[in-house]
Order: sequence, then structure tokens, then C-alpha cells
Amino acid sequence: MATNALGLFNAPSSALEAAGALKGAGFDSPTVISPIPIHGIDEVLGKKKSIIKRFTFFGALFGGIAGFALAAGTAVMYIHATGGRPIIAIPPFLIITYELTILCGILATVLGFILGSRLPAFKNRVYVPEVAVDKFAVTVLCEDPERLKRAHDILQSSGAEEIREVEGEQ
Amino acid sequence: MANQDISFAQINDDVVRSLVVTGRKYYITLAISILVTFTCFVGPWFYQLRYGIGAAGMNHPTVWGTYLASFIFWIGLSHSGTLLSAVLHLTNSEWRKAMYRSAEAMTLFSVMVAAMMVMVHVGRPWFVHWAVPYPNQMEMWPNFRSPLMFDVMAITTYMTGSIIFIYMGTIPDFAAVRDRTTGWRHHMYVLLSLGWRGTDTEWNRLHWAYTFLAVLIVPLAVSVHSIVSWDFALSVVPALHQTIFAPYFVVGAIYSGTAGIVTVMFVLRKYMKFEHLITKLHFDNLGKLLLVMSLLWTYINMVELFTGWYSESSEEYEALNFRLFGFYGPLYWEMILFCALAPLLLISKRFRTSFVPMLILSIVINIGMYTERFLIVATSLPRQYLPDAWGMYVPSLVEIAIMVGSFGMFTTLFLVFVKIFPSISLYEVKETLPEPQPKPQADSGAP
Repeated sequence: MATNALGLFNAPSSALEAAGALKGAGFDSPTVISPIPIHGIDEVLGKKKSIIKRFTFFGALFGGIAGFALAAGTAVMYIHATGGRPIIAIPPFLIITYELTILCGILATVLGFILGSRLPAFKNRVYVPEVAVDKFAVTVLCEDPERLKRAHDILQSSGAEEIREVEGEQ
Repeated sequence: MANQDISFAQINDDVVRSLVVTGRKYYITLAISILVTFTCFVGPWFYQLRYGIGAAGMNHPTVWGTYLASFIFWIGLSHSGTLLSAVLHLTNSEWRKAMYRSAEAMTLFSVMVAAMMVMVHVGRPWFVHWAVPYPNQMEMWPNFRSPLMFDVMAITTYMTGSIIFIYMGTIPDFAAVRDRTTGWRHHMYVLLSLGWRGTDTEWNRLHWAYTFLAVLIVPLAVSVHSIVSWDFALSVVPALHQTIFAPYFVVGAIYSGTAGIVTVMFVLRKYMKFEHLITKLHFDNLGKLLLVMSLLWTYINMVELFTGWYSESSEEYEALNFRLFGFYGPLYWEMILFCALAPLLLISKRFRTSFVPMLILSIVINIGMYTERFLIVATSLPRQYLPDAWGMYVPSLVEIAIMVGSFGMFTTLFLVFVKIFPSISLYEVKETLPEPQPKPQADSGAP
């Protein structure tokens, strides 16, 4: 199993500084784990491209088409003329279209979130419980002992309160 | 915003305590609410199923009664939770963070109770799946031109959206609680947290997904109560066939939902000991919102009366006359007192920041709002066009019991919720606190 260096910090600014230093030293994408979202993390680790908006858009588009097809298709398959109204009546069917647009948009957003954030986690991943309370962790994968030592030094110089070696995938 | 002196760890402690430490008062309240649910809801419903829908007081011409009034009430109450939470999320309102979780839970359980009221109302709930479009041997499909089918689609979407919205916002908190619990609770939170760690990528994805959900849910919530209003307004019944009905229902829904949030906040603050998280600021802001909604609601009521009177058609006159001065006239004026006049007290900041008066007012408003829904149903259908088609509607004991039981069911669901879901959003309350600063170090620590 891969070994990771993990530094625990008590302030988000120190964690960001350590992550920036690790990235500058040639380590591949250090991960910052925190109890709250950290502002300004994109400037240090680079802007993340999210696929969620595409999921939302295409989900909603699919829902809209499916909604209208459902209302109009079933009306044609079972002709039931009432009140002198057309069989394919646009205004009421737009309401069904609207609701299904939103329903499918919501479901697709969830799917995008699940895939984009690599959840649920089935394998053991790098984690320490302190980060769910008040600590900020910076962790990086280290393939060999030399890189582990370098990561250790960088984390130490950035003011880590504690440095651990943790097994698990990033 | 929460009290600024508390630490991150204290927030975790408080929330975990609210989940695992359960006092006698909780069990007694839970027992009472379950008892009320069974004696007032389940029992009378079985009676009605056994002896037929005649057990309810509904009859020609008033074929809609308190079941539908309760349905509108519960759907209305559900509105402030998810809608308010989504709007405040999109506008970056900090004060939302301590209260939105419970508000969203309120939404979810209100929608569930509302769905149950439909089951009770339809009389033969074992055929309720006929409203779902599925291929069947009769080759029949639901009629999507009917407002009732709009309802089915809207409420299904709203319930699904609300469940997802509350669940997604809670994933990081499930993870925080997961690390602090043992036994069955731990296993449950391991599953619910999906292995959340709080990495930069996970926070980024959660932020975007949550924002998109909020954007989708705001118009959805507005559409849901508009559609509920069309159940009535798309008929040709005098006093129901009104163009103002959709905004009237949406405003009424947000109004009664906000009052519901005040009630829930008071109870959480007092009995879950969240005094330092839910503060006067929350009550002040909710009070302002209530005042605005109350003025809007009063305005729409005046417009409704004015347009009915100005139409100068005898059937509209009669319907309005019956509502204002008929058998249920006193209830109308009670509604005006509770929902239009009493909330004017909210002009005073001292009133808005006093907890007990706010609790009393929030309950009074919701009594008024239930009355409003009852009057919509019970004073319009009995006065349609020809006098020989007029009738009278008085709810039967079974209907009154089921209405009371629906409150028991809501309370039961909410009490179970507060022991499973962290009722305060841990990570978002932490965000409102000052950012932790690095400790000054005597030694740089460099080797």
C-alpha cells in the first residue's frame, strides 16, 4: 500500500502555505483535508474543473424532453377527449415538462456529485479524525523514503503541529 | 451568526451530545406524539377505511373538506424550509447557517404528512398507484391535463428534491459524527457519510452541486404551491376561480412556513440547548421576514375581496358574503386577527428579539393559516351558483381527529430526525466563526 506524508495544522493559512510549498517542490497534487471549505484554495492548488454543471444541464434537458414525451405520448396512446380540449394540450403539458426538467436536473446533479467527488469510498483512504473537528491536514503521496523525508521537511518548515505517515490511497 | 466565543471542538461536542444524550423529557414527548398519531390518525383512518369515506363529513356539494385543508396547510408549512434555505444560500446569508438544517427537515416531514393527507382523502388509497404513469394491461394512462396530475408530479419532485437537498448538505456532518460514535450509530453514519473526508476536491464538488440544487429548488418550490392552488383555481367554483390564487398560495405558504421555523427554532434552542448557536439575530431576521410576508398576505387578501366585489356577479357576492358573514364568518375574522393584525407587533425590534412572544405569535399565525385553508375549502363549495345546489359542511369527528393526528405524526417524525441528523450544520456554523490563526512559534521548526 502507498505511504503518504500527512501534516496536521491548526490554521487553514498554514495548511495552504504547506500545500503550496509541496506543489512548488514537485509533489503531485497535494490534498488538503479540512473541517470547513477553505477560501482561496484554488489559487494555491489550481482551479478545479467540475463536471457537475454538465450533468445538471443535460439531466434537465433530458427531463424536459422526457416530460413532454410522457405527457403527449400517453395522451396519444390513450385518447380521452374532455371539455373540447386538444389531445396534445400545450399549457398543461408544459407544467409536466417543467416538473420533470427539475426532477431529472436534480437527480443528474447528484450523479455528477457522486462521480466528481469519487464517493462513496470503498477502499481505505488517507484520513485522520481530527480533520472533522478543528485540524487542517495536508497530505501527499510519497513513492519512496527519500520523497517521504522531503515532504516531512517541507511540512515541518510550514509549521505543522504533527506529522504522520499514513497508509491508504489519496 | 453563532456566538463568536465558541470553539470548533465545542460545536462538535454540542451536536454529538444532541444526538447521543437523550433525556427523559425527549422520551415522554416521543411517547405522547406516537400515542397521538395512533389514536388520532391511524385509528380513525382505519375506521374510515373499514366503514367508508362516509365517516368523513364530506358530501355533495362540499366534496373537499379538512383533509384537503390539512393537505394545503402541510404543503404550505413545507415551503419555508427548503425554499428559504436555498434562497439564503444563493444570497450568501450567514445567519441561515445555524437554522437551515431543521428548517429543511421541517419541509421534508411536512411534505410527507401532506402526502398522507391525500391518501386519507382519496378514500380508496389502495388504488393510488393509478396516478402513476406505468404501462398496464388496460392500456390506460393518467390524464396529464388534470391539475391533480400536476400535483402528483410536483409533489413527487419536491419530496425527492427536498430529501436530496437536506441529505447532501449533511454528508460532511455525518462524517464528523461518524468519528465520534460507536455501535449501530457508527455503522449508520459510515453508510450515510459515503466515506466523506473533507478533501479540497470533495468540498469543491459539494459547493457546486449544492448551489445547482438550490438554483433548481427555488423555482420548484414556487411551482409546487402554485400547482396546489390550481387544484382549486382551475375549477369554475366562485371564490376559487381566481387568477390571484397562485401568488396567494405561495405567499401564504412562505408565511406559514416561516412561522413554523420560528416555532421549531424556539424548541430546538430551548430543549437541545443550542442557546449559543441560535441567537436573537435569527429571531430578529425571521421576525422581519414574517412581517413582510404578513403584509403581502394581507394585501393579497384585500385584492381577492376587491376583485370579487368589483365583479358584481351574484355568485361571487354570495360566496364572499358567506365567507365574511356566514356560518364560518367568526373564523374569517379570527384569521384576519391572527394573520393580518397580530403580526404588526413585529414592527417592534424588542418583540422580534423576545423568544416567548415570538413563539406565541408563530403558533397564532399558523392557527390563522390553518383557518385560511379551511375557509378556502369550506366556504366556497357550499355556495355554488344555484341556491338549490347549496349545502353546508361541518367536519366530522373522524376528520377532526385525523387533523390533530397529523400534528402528532409530524412531531414524531421530527423527534426521530433530531436524534439521527445533526440538527445544526456543523461545518457551516464553523464557517461563521473567526478563522483559526497559526499559533506563534518560538522555534520555526525547520531542521
